Amino acid sequence: MRLILVGISYRTAPVELREQVDFVARGVEAALRALAARGATREAVVLSTCNRAELYAACDDVKRARADLVNFISEFHGVAPGAVLPHVYDDVDLGVARHLFRVAAGLDSLVVGEPQVLGQVKEAHTAASEVHSVGPMLNRLFHSSFVVGKRVRTETGLGSGAVSVTFAAVALARKISGHLKGRSVLVIGAGEMGKLTALHMKSQGVHHVTIVSRTMSHAARTAEAIGGASAAPWDDMDAALGASDIVITATGAAAPILTKAHVETVMRPRRNRPLFIIDIAMPRDVEAAAGEIEQVFLYNIDDLRATVRENLARRASEVARAEDIVGEEVEKFGGWFRSRGAIPTLVALRQRFEHIRLSELERLDFKLSALPPEARARVDEITHLIVEKLLLTPTEQLKSLGDAETVGAYAEALSRLFGLAQQQGDEEDAERTPPRPEPVEGRVEQFARSKGRPR
Amino acid sequence: MNFVPLALYGVALVAYAWHFARREPAVGRSATTLLVAGALAHTFIVGMQTMEVGHVPVTNASSAISTFVWLLALAYLYTEMTTDERAMGAFILPLLVTLQSIPAFKPGTEDRAAVLQGPLFGLHVSSLLFAYASFALACVIGITYVLLFKEIKAKHLGFFYARLPSLQVIDQMNQRAIVVGWVFLTLGMIVGAVWAGQARAYAGGDPRVQAMSLQDPKIFVALVCWALYSFELFAARRIGWGGRRTAYLSTFGFAIVLLNFVPISYFLTKSHNF
Repeated sequence: MRLILVGISYRTAPVELREQVDFVARGVEAALRALAARGATREAVVLSTCNRAELYAACDDVKRARADLVNFISEFHGVAPGAVLPHVYDDVDLGVARHLFRVAAGLDSLVVGEPQVLGQVKEAHTAASEVHSVGPMLNRLFHSSFVVGKRVRTETGLGSGAVSVTFAAVALARKISGHLKGRSVLVIGAGEMGKLTALHMKSQGVHHVTIVSRTMSHAARTAEAIGGASAAPWDDMDAALGASDIVITATGAAAPILTKAHVETVMRPRRNRPLFIIDIAMPRDVEAAAGEIEQVFLYNIDDLRATVRENLARRASEVARAEDIVGEEVEKFGGWFRSRGAIPTLVALRQRFEHIRLSELERLDFKLSALPPEARARVDEITHLIVEKLLLTPTEQLKSLGDAETVGAYAEALSRLFGLAQQQGDEEDAERTPPRPEPVEGRVEQFARSKGRPR
Repeated sequence: MNFVPLALYGVALVAYAWHFARREPAVGRSATTLLVAGALAHTFIVGMQTMEVGHVPVTNASSAISTFVWLLALAYLYTEMTTDERAMGAFILPLLVTLQSIPAFKPGTEDRAAVLQGPLFGLHVSSLLFAYASFALACVIGITYVLLFKEIKAKHLGFFYARLPSLQVIDQMNQRAIVVGWVFLTLGMIVGAVWAGQARAYAGGDPRVQAMSLQDPKIFVALVCWALYSFELFAARRIGWGGRRTAYLSTFGFAIVLLNFVPISYFLTKSHNF
């Protein structure tokens, strides 16, 4: 069995086309069933996000599968093949593994290192498991990709550091004040930006949000829109400042509303309780010198943007380490994948040996019939053990072979030496029933067969 | 004998540093495991010596340092387990390794003088060693506070920002360590004074006992430490000092403790030259 991938992503296609081929909109399950009904693939997973639509499949004939998968995309979504084809990319075998591992690691994402994609890969696999469209091949492939995603997240800084201004602000607040639960936020200015940031803080679990605005009615309206927030008159700003841990300033004032001297007065009764001021107004609301006060941490919108840029740069520097992990895991998966190429030969060899054993026992039956039943059972057991022992080393050797070409050469040699050629017809069955029975595979094959396999 | 924990602390140091730099969880776990192993081996050694001499081995500078390192390792492990925070390990372990190499390379013999027996003496030394261990923790925590504080103030969020807990948490850990250390320092000094008074009565001829006065450098510097840490606690509660100032004070205080503990013990003191 081979692996194939056909897909369209933000790298190859404009958003208009991606919207047209969105599998989630039309139902991933329906797509998987329709795909199985076409019969060109044995196993399939559909990974569909706003940035990509990819079909992962296991098949016998990659050329045929590739053509069929491209046709499937255009037919399923009712898009002309000519419109899809120029934007499609594909890969086979270990190339598929490398691609999926990079996707799961967040290396192929629009924002490198974003964590959501791993969840989407898991969902895609779960959806395919539910309709029994995955078998041993894709199960192994996807489970390996989960490992890659997890390793990259824990072993590299690829996903670390906020990459949006609001997240950067929340992360900073956490680094200064510890847990945000129990912390109070003061928003100065009732405009849209202040409201959005306050909403974000609220969703992160801050204890209380207070809005102060020059016009009390504006403050009250914004407080109501946020929900669970309170409004305070402009004159009470100092008291509100004293009670807050995080201050967001977002007024349209032309001159600073908080001077260094002002903040100093506010800080005195606070003792060493830190105050984090986020100035997202343009022009700035807080005098830059206020940041010099010992326990005042002042960040304006440009500072936050700069940290976001730094985070993005740091992520970029972690890419090489993440790529190394992908490489290691592709290598591991490759070992397993190549060993599967030897399975038909191994099964044939095993069948040949077993056949010889049984026919010899049968031939000697007249001699053995004189023995008591226990002794006959013992003979059966011993001959079985001998066959197992004879096969042990060749099995291990074949499974550890490096590349498909060598596997082919060995298979050819074994086939000639042991006369396995007449058993070629059984190879397909061999593929269906590997030595280690896996329950999922049984289900998959039933599924595949019930939909009619190509002859 | 002290080589086994030294070696384990050394390997643990490498693991903690590696974990701090690369943040691989498996390395972090093995770092803790190594430190636990080192602390266990150390417990065994301290326990054996206690059995041998009949009290905690503290009556010469080398064994006192060894016991101190043991207490510090335990105190740090307690902090790590309760806060689930491994970042400090990279700062504590260098101190453990440096100090532990003293008893490992220059072992002393336990003084069995009758004057150094008895529950009061044991309490005096153990409380002080525990106080020093707490101050050592506070010092390291203070250093990490300053490192993180500087990064946030400079708006350059980098290495420490990604690895250390929040400023608030570090500040709390620091204050807690100072309170614990101060309580034991006070207790140890009071018990020491009481013990010295008694010793004068029954062992007045011992030159060490005669030297026990405020003029002795070891006792004098210990009082300076007490004054410094008392001020730090007072400042934190009354003047509202905290954060960076407390962190600096913790570092400075422990520098004095270390000065008192190692060079003064070895070369200068007449009363505590066991």
